Amino acid sequence: MNRFWKYVLLFGFFLISFLGRSEKAQAQDMDYKAYTLFLYNFMKYVEWPNTEGDFIIGVIGESPVKKELYELAKNKKAKGRQIVVLNIATANDALLCSMIYIPTSKSSELKVLSEKVKGKSVLIVAEREGLAKKGAGISFVIDEDDALKFDINKSVLDAHSLKVAAMLIRLAVIVG
Amino acid sequence: MKKHFLSLVLSATLFAPAWGQIQSAAKDTFDFYEMSLEQLLRMKAHGIPSELEELINSLILAASKRPLTARESPGIVTLITDEEIRNSGARDLIDALRLVPGIDFGVDVEGAVGIGTRGLWAHEGKVLLLIDGQEMNEGLFGINSFGNHFPVDQIKKIEVIRGPGSAIYGGFAEYGVINIITKSASDLLGVSLTALAGQMEGGMGRRNFNLSAGKKSQDFQFTMGAFLGQANRSDQDYTDFFGNTYNMAGNSNLDPTHLNVGMTYKNFSARWILDMYQTTVRDEYDTITPIPYPINYRSNFTELKYSGQVGKAKKLTITPKFNFKNQAPWETIWDGDSVAEDYSKSVQRYTGNVTASYNLTRKINFVAGAELYTDKAQDNSNDSSYFSNGEKEVQYSNHAFFLQTLAKTRIVNFIAGARYDVHSDYGSAFVPRVGFTKKFKKFHFKALYSNAFRAPTIENINLEDSAGIKPELTQVIELEAGYQLTRKSLITANLFDIDTEDPIVYFVGDSLQLDNYKNFGMGGSQGVEVEYRMRDKWGYVIANYSFYTVLNKENSEDYMVEDKKSLLLAFPAHKANLNVSIKAGKYFTISPSLLYIGKRYGYTEIDSVGNYLQGEFKPLMLANLFVSINNFGVKGLTIGLGCYDMLNAHYSFIQPYYGDHAALPGPSRELMLKLTYEVKKEKKKQE
Repeated sequence: MNRFWKYVLLFGFFLISFLGRSEKAQAQDMDYKAYTLFLYNFMKYVEWPNTEGDFIIGVIGESPVKKELYELAKNKKAKGRQIVVLNIATANDALLCSMIYIPTSKSSELKVLSEKVKGKSVLIVAEREGLAKKGAGISFVIDEDDALKFDINKSVLDAHSLKVAAMLIRLAVIVG
Repeated sequence: MKKHFLSLVLSATLFAPAWGQIQSAAKDTFDFYEMSLEQLLRMKAHGIPSELEELINSLILAASKRPLTARESPGIVTLITDEEIRNSGARDLIDALRLVPGIDFGVDVEGAVGIGTRGLWAHEGKVLLLIDGQEMNEGLFGINSFGNHFPVDQIKKIEVIRGPGSAIYGGFAEYGVINIITKSASDLLGVSLTALAGQMEGGMGRRNFNLSAGKKSQDFQFTMGAFLGQANRSDQDYTDFFGNTYNMAGNSNLDPTHLNVGMTYKNFSARWILDMYQTTVRDEYDTITPIPYPINYRSNFTELKYSGQVGKAKKLTITPKFNFKNQAPWETIWDGDSVAEDYSKSVQRYTGNVTASYNLTRKINFVAGAELYTDKAQDNSNDSSYFSNGEKEVQYSNHAFFLQTLAKTRIVNFIAGARYDVHSDYGSAFVPRVGFTKKFKKFHFKALYSNAFRAPTIENINLEDSAGIKPELTQVIELEAGYQLTRKSLITANLFDIDTEDPIVYFVGDSLQLDNYKNFGMGGSQGVEVEYRMRDKWGYVIANYSFYTVLNKENSEDYMVEDKKSLLLAFPAHKANLNVSIKAGKYFTISPSLLYIGKRYGYTEIDSVGNYLQGEFKPLMLANLFVSINNFGVKGLTIGLGCYDMLNAHYSFIQPYYGDHAALPGPSRELMLKLTYEVKKEKKKQE
């Protein structure tokens, strides 16, 4: 084995040693407080036909966003309505919600949920980019400079009888 | 109390640009859930970036036609910031670029110091140097002469692409690209003056002066940089192979005059750079001259550029630009008392370029463009020298087409591109490249395969041997992996493998044509580079190590070390850097740095029958220290004190090829005093 390949092996070892430390290492993880802030603004700038009762936001699966939503629910109301965070365990739970948040890890559930809430006044917000084109009302986008932005599918929102304020539309990219 | 509260709310609501400010304010004063929609759009998906994250998430412009972050950019990249340059006390580009893994310097002839990378001598047209997009390499041989030349105080950042860039930039970017971006009007917003004095042990080191100014209004930006200086390459004795010697203090001047003026108005920009660099030498080619003589490198560069988006969707951006550069490098003119050969040639390049960039989606981008340039060169000397066409003037043209596709997917970022050049004399060169990069939270990787070429220059064509000359072609494979150990530290490591076919080499011919160029043999190297970066509010640590070998590569004997088949002349197999900067309190910054240069080899003597013999240059350590004090007595005044080469290691620039030139001594221990005074208009907080 020549010397160069010895260095290649050394490099590999080096890399694996550091990868082994991954659990202990910290890095710049998603800031779900920021996501929550967007969700709160969607509550403010989207109009639901039904303004009675609690504003239920459902989250499917486990996501750190829940912790932040609980914090939001403690401190704020959605246009005067109490915010309630619901863990969506079955598809029927989706029918109780005004807004559904789909974390990236549960993106594959979008189709089922969209079918379930078809025609209902439910806003589906997806964490993964591109899902507004596939049935979500809104999906998040992370720009090249890490800025958090969002796409809106207006046709989907119309189909769910949801009206969006022009101010919010101005900040979004309309994808449908 | 209420007034304070209101003003806090108002200032936070109206002006606070970042999430961090709002978050911290929220703890004790106001409701951060109530921020405006505009503020919402400034939120970062990953929260407040650390100092390191800001750096590694910054966009790299040089490695792809569409900028990507340092960790995803399709190139092995080192980013040197203005802060790092300032804190290190870098005297010139040699000091700044030595911080980069794999980069070192060697001597050519007539006192010219050039760059080498990854063990390979890259002086003649193999590393592209850009200042604000202007190609600095001179058009006759393709070189850049380093040493108190380009102004480091005007620099905002240097992007060093340590691998090939020909698929974007063409024939001067075979082994690397150094992209210098000077401070913008927003960075300056006023005037900055810098004076630097350096004293070596045996004579004056340097006296440099820089003035930078910038002004910005809504649509208009203007910047100006002026740099004047005087320096000595060294204060040590130079001895040629025949035992002749002289002291370089006063005989190795490096005197720059550099002006850089830029303006932008809406989508239109214009730039003009004047670069006049005069050196004084006695070392010539082999034996020393009895008296010093000056060599001038004169250049000016002009660029006019427009960048406009087309259509409502703004998916298509078209950028036409025109560049003109006029150069007279290596100008050596006698006044009757000649000590070296007369050389006076000038060269002009007129370049037109149109680039179209189309964003099919946010994640898919296409770039296509065309470039046409014409080179004209004149022999201005009064002697009987002519170009190979038998005339005092020669002209060539080149047209090129380039393409790039970038697709960012969840699994990988894919980039593919190519450039096709057709030259009126030496024919065509086609250089495709493909790369895969991706960042997965803390981990990132890059796998890059690039073709590159070195375009023969006007003098290569002029001095070609009977077989003619053609572009040398290079293939490079690079693999990089990086891991963010903490939010403040990152380690990256990369492997490279370089193969060059038919390198353009210089050789001494017969008496009819003494200087010759031809394509001959092979070239290349392999190696590894590792870099660790840690950044925090208190400062930073940068440590890197680079290694190369040519054991598995075939290289021309002219570049080889005779009894070390793994090494090339002049460049060490092992090089390491440690660069630390510590903010000690509000005003003090202390920055020590260490540069280890391993064992090197070069020609050191001549035997009794006239054969040049190689010898070993011992490893050495350059230890430097720079201390700066901000607002020293006066607001905006910074005083810096430093010492370069504290251990007085006596670094010498070695000739990386068989060229009859002895090693050229560098500066000895140099004490420096640097004063900077900035008058800055406060930025509006909304910016």
